[in-house]
Amino acid sequence: MAVSAAPAVSSSLATRWTEVGGVRVPVELVTPGWPDPHMDLSTYDPEADLMALNMGPQHPSTHGVLRVKVWLDGETVVKAIPYVGYLHRGVEKLCEKLTYVQITPIVDKNDYVSPMMNELAVNMAFEAALGVEPPPRAQVLRTILAEIQRIASHLISVGTWGLDMGGAIGGGATVFLYCMRERELILDLFEELTGGRFHYNTHTVGGNRHDLPAGWDRKAIEVLDRIVARSEEYERFLVDNPICHQRARGIAVIDPLLAMECGASGPILRGSGVDFDLRRDAPYAAYDQVELRVPVRTEGDALARALVRIDELRESARVAKLLLQGVPEGPICALKPVKLPGAVKLQEGEQVYVGIESPRGELGTWLLANTDRKLGPHPYRLKIRPPSLHALSLLPYLCPGHTLSDVVVIIGSLDPILGEVDR
Amino acid sequence: MIENPWLHGLVLGLVVVAVVMGVAAFSIWYERKFAGLLQNRPGPTEVGPWGLGQLIADAIKLLQKEQIVPAAADRPLFLLAPLLVLTAALVPLAVIPWGPGLVGADLHVGVLFALAASSLMLFPVWMAGWASNNKYALLGGMRSVAQGISYEIPLLLSATVPIVLAQSFRLGDIVAAQEGLRWFALWPPGPGTLAFGLFMATALAEANRIPFDIPEAESELVAGVTVEYTGMNFGMFYLAEYLHTFIASALGAALFLGGWDMGPLGAGLHWMVLKTLVLFAGIFWVRWSLLRLRSDQLMELCWRWLVPGSLLLVMAAALWVHLT
Amino acid sequence: MPVLQPPLPEDVVTWCRHHLGVEDVPLEGPEVPRERLTDFARALKEQHHFWFFVYCAAAHFPAAGELPDRTLVAYRVRRLPHATLGRPTQTFPFRVWVPTGESSPSLAGIWAGADGQEREQSDLVGTVFSGHPDPRRLMMPDDWPGHPLRRDYAIETGHFPWR
Repeated sequence: MAVSAAPAVSSSLATRWTEVGGVRVPVELVTPGWPDPHMDLSTYDPEADLMALNMGPQHPSTHGVLRVKVWLDGETVVKAIPYVGYLHRGVEKLCEKLTYVQITPIVDKNDYVSPMMNELAVNMAFEAALGVEPPPRAQVLRTILAEIQRIASHLISVGTWGLDMGGAIGGGATVFLYCMRERELILDLFEELTGGRFHYNTHTVGGNRHDLPAGWDRKAIEVLDRIVARSEEYERFLVDNPICHQRARGIAVIDPLLAMECGASGPILRGSGVDFDLRRDAPYAAYDQVELRVPVRTEGDALARALVRIDELRESARVAKLLLQGVPEGPICALKPVKLPGAVKLQEGEQVYVGIESPRGELGTWLLANTDRKLGPHPYRLKIRPPSLHALSLLPYLCPGHTLSDVVVIIGSLDPILGEVDR
Repeated sequence: MIENPWLHGLVLGLVVVAVVMGVAAFSIWYERKFAGLLQNRPGPTEVGPWGLGQLIADAIKLLQKEQIVPAAADRPLFLLAPLLVLTAALVPLAVIPWGPGLVGADLHVGVLFALAASSLMLFPVWMAGWASNNKYALLGGMRSVAQGISYEIPLLLSATVPIVLAQSFRLGDIVAAQEGLRWFALWPPGPGTLAFGLFMATALAEANRIPFDIPEAESELVAGVTVEYTGMNFGMFYLAEYLHTFIASALGAALFLGGWDMGPLGAGLHWMVLKTLVLFAGIFWVRWSLLRLRSDQLMELCWRWLVPGSLLLVMAAALWVHLT
Repeated sequence: MPVLQPPLPEDVVTWCRHHLGVEDVPLEGPEVPRERLTDFARALKEQHHFWFFVYCAAAHFPAAGELPDRTLVAYRVRRLPHATLGRPTQTFPFRVWVPTGESSPSLAGIWAGADGQEREQSDLVGTVFSGHPDPRRLMMPDDWPGHPLRRDYAIETGHFPWR
């Protein structure tokens, strides 16, 4: 399952394609020059009266504590600089003092919209370094949980994007609350499985910690069916809404080459016409057992990214349902149940990198294990590669030329989670 | 009624202002319940039966809050703006006919007076935006002025249609001309209906309601002009916004929906109030289900479509009057 | 037990052996001399189509024996599946050793994504990237003392300059 011959392009913009380094990208989106993110403002029209405006860190639409400093000429953005770090909690430093088992609940808080993905990413890195392969049941379980988590995350993403366009006291809040209603069902599912609504701590080195309760699979299928049925509502809300079209169509068109250079992946890259999904192209867990249809759109604008997310949400539901119908029997963890936090030891001193497809793109973990026995069973250095940070690095390229109102739409369409940007 | 016209005006004015303020405050509860219904949630439930006491609790909360004036703000202007905005919102009430003879001042130029008075709101809003010494407030104020000036024109022109049809500027005459369910919103099928839609849409823009609420635009401008206001100063802006919406609905009801008259079902205050509340709910409905337009798109919509369209409607109405 | 990592792409490994003159390219990537880093990276991007920037991660190693105090900067780049050759997506890591007090050339001019990542690493680990277009701190406040992810930035000693 290397490359799909026909990408599942669902786009009104029939495109001509070009090949850049073997990657098929839509011709329309490839632009010769990108704006300079480090633009010198003294070179800008000296007649213009620029106003610097700080959006954030306390701002309703910067998805947490992102601060964007924008220079406005009238209402047009001339330059935008994102400032991050307001939520820096030193997770990577903390991981250097924790054992491998203790790290899982810590990284839950990184991408706080999809905690399962963080757990999966670090644990897969530990397993790779340890050379442990989780049993098939755990693999399937992980895939199901990841897909359900992806649905929950995309619901938040689409909902908050509506909030950005429609305001917290208005139509945007309506679509947001509809999305939250469905996310609630998923959180209930996870609560039944793991006991937590946020800190699941369900993935562990070598497999999973919690086995499926009786009847969970049936309930999950019911919930997924309901969400898929309701996802039509969101699509109608976004696609059949002329105001949404006016606001998001043609806004922040991302050059796929720029997105690749910046390391932005996931719906951002797929919204720009690049047919790339780690789940299909570099399968992990049980993704090699399912045939994934990757939604790709070729418009590259903010609306395309939102629509890719909605399509992905349906696809995730399909995959999860498919896997739920045939969960293999067997153990759920390759290692003995962990009693002591220091029980898992990585002393070989290897560097591993594992990247998984989180709802926002490639979520990776680079692990440098201790070579020194004296230092104990801790990672020497653990680097989490957050997809949101890479998505945010696109912001200075996208904002110039758009108005202030568009900036929030752009931020929303990049869907950054500041918890994982800052870590 | 009271014989002395001055006394009559004063008493009726006070009663109307008191009742309408109450209704506007109540409408906050009404809107929150309505939005709750729309969004699968209960809305206010805790204070009093069905959360009816919520607005009292809100008012007490707002009154208790410290009134902060930013150090660098223009203090007199900053404190004057909320008072003026409320005044400007209340003035048009004088000419709105609530029932036969139940009108504060049945002016010859009633429609013009109401629209002129409500457009006065721009000044205190711009004052607030300027005096706050805040960039968000400044942007909100500038947007507000640009939007207000633009949307004034189609609003006035669409209100001209019933004026032309009734051949009077007096709101009482306009209502009387629609007696027997010959509502201007229905009867001359072309211009009347379109003018009604246009009037309500531009009234939405005048009242800074979604989809035209870019001066407030809390997703990008935080709270627009009200960003620096606290306590009851903010409450006055809030109340003025509701009053403005309420008055726009009342004007719409009087100009296009026959006001207090309900044909064979009789006439009276209750019909006027009912029509106003229905239009009011319609505005909520629009607000809670639409997204916000961008400021340049808003201007484009106004100058490219609404202004020429409303001019055409006025001409069509004149032709109708000429031919019939 | 062996490390479970996909092998490095054959063609790049062959090119690396030839280009860098190294015998063996380990799984964690070749060590690139700092002065050749920019050329190496540009060739990776332009000849081998590694357009996608995955990460830049630095790790601090205190002086041990005759090895000086230094940081390891590990980069990883990815190429997407080839549309016609049927080649799957592959990543390629490479590493640079930067002794403390010296600097490593910035790759921000080659991959736009390296800009933010190098800023983060120089903020947290203290590696200096020369020629970086915007060498401000990313995570920590501008006046923060020290670089938290260095090994000598001790947690136990209560080195918490909270304000």
